Amino acid sequence: MTRLNEPMVCEGALDLLETYLDGDLPREAADRFRFHLEGCRACAAELALAGRIQRELRVLPQPDCPPEVIERVVRTGRGEVVPFPSRSRAARLRIAAAAAALALAVGGGSLFIHLQRDQPRPEPSRAEIAQATRQARFALAYLGKVTRKAGLGVRDEVLEKRLVIPAARSVSRSLGGALSGPSAAAEPRKELP
Amino acid sequence: MMRKPIVTAVLGALLLFLAVAAGRAQKLESLPGYVPIEELNLFPPDKLSVEVNLDGPLLHMVAAATKGDDPEFSAVMAGLKSIKVQVYPLKGVDAGAVKGKIGRAVHWLEGHGWQSSIRVKEKGDETYIYLKQTGDRIEGLTLLSLNPGDEAVIINIVGRIDPAEIGRLGKNLDLPQLQKIPARGGGARKPE
Repeated sequence: MTRLNEPMVCEGALDLLETYLDGDLPREAADRFRFHLEGCRACAAELALAGRIQRELRVLPQPDCPPEVIERVVRTGRGEVVPFPSRSRAARLRIAAAAAALALAVGGGSLFIHLQRDQPRPEPSRAEIAQATRQARFALAYLGKVTRKAGLGVRDEVLEKRLVIPAARSVSRSLGGALSGPSAAAEPRKELP
Repeated sequence: MMRKPIVTAVLGALLLFLAVAAGRAQKLESLPGYVPIEELNLFPPDKLSVEVNLDGPLLHMVAAATKGDDPEFSAVMAGLKSIKVQVYPLKGVDAGAVKGKIGRAVHWLEGHGWQSSIRVKEKGDETYIYLKQTGDRIEGLTLLSLNPGDEAVIINIVGRIDPAEIGRLGKNLDLPQLQKIPARGGGARKPE
């Protein structure tokens, strides 16, 4: 037999939540559930939320069940095999027409917006095209200038690190240390063509 | 029994129509090589010494206009969808702030699938060239350059790009020979 002070974990408490709300929980289990809620704010909040949802569901209007559904339930209850009714041709045509209208509205709308966006733009004059040509040439020339400069920078760096400095060190060593230090090592670079 | 094929055909035709409409409505912003330069907010728009904004229709007209005189240039233009250039003079400007913005732009490019092609840092100068590839095709080129004391530049070229062809053209074109390029607000860049 379980006791009131026996701890209830949240998972177990949440499983009992709906049953408790419906008033179907046995008294002892309900006591333990309430005892858990006193010390667990998260579960108490869950209970409050579930209670609110249940109350709001109860005040929703009750829609009438369509007679064909009632008839179908009754016939099924009698053990009859009731086939699902097939959609009529008119219903299918209505669905196709709705789909077509939707597709036309979406496609036509996007096409219209696109065309509207293009329309206000007047045909550029010769002067504007000439100006655009100069601007395009400028962009490419600028690109050429920067890449050339970057390329030269890379070349200089590679030459200095891989060729000039090692060569200068080699010369320095062969002259018995007459030349030394990085500044001296970099000197021969100036003599390169 | 004939109804199903008819409905399928109607829906198929509509889907095709939608696809065509969507294709026609393809915007520059949706192209892989596009970089939202304005959104990156690199340079103050009112302080630019050069601003170039050329889009697809105008570039096609440039291609058509130069076909006879310069077929190589024309062929390059025909494949492009957009050229954007912004040059910001750095004389008397704190280059540190611009450097930070260029660093953020580089970060943005790398975060959006752009691949570094050239990255040079030398004596305070920084140059980055990034390419946007889809399969074997290059669909975008972006250059970022910082020259403290001189200027900072961003160039974004969108479209079918052959870097070798563009490089060859860029080498042949000489900046000093080009005429003045107007900046925003009617200003003009003086030939270097």
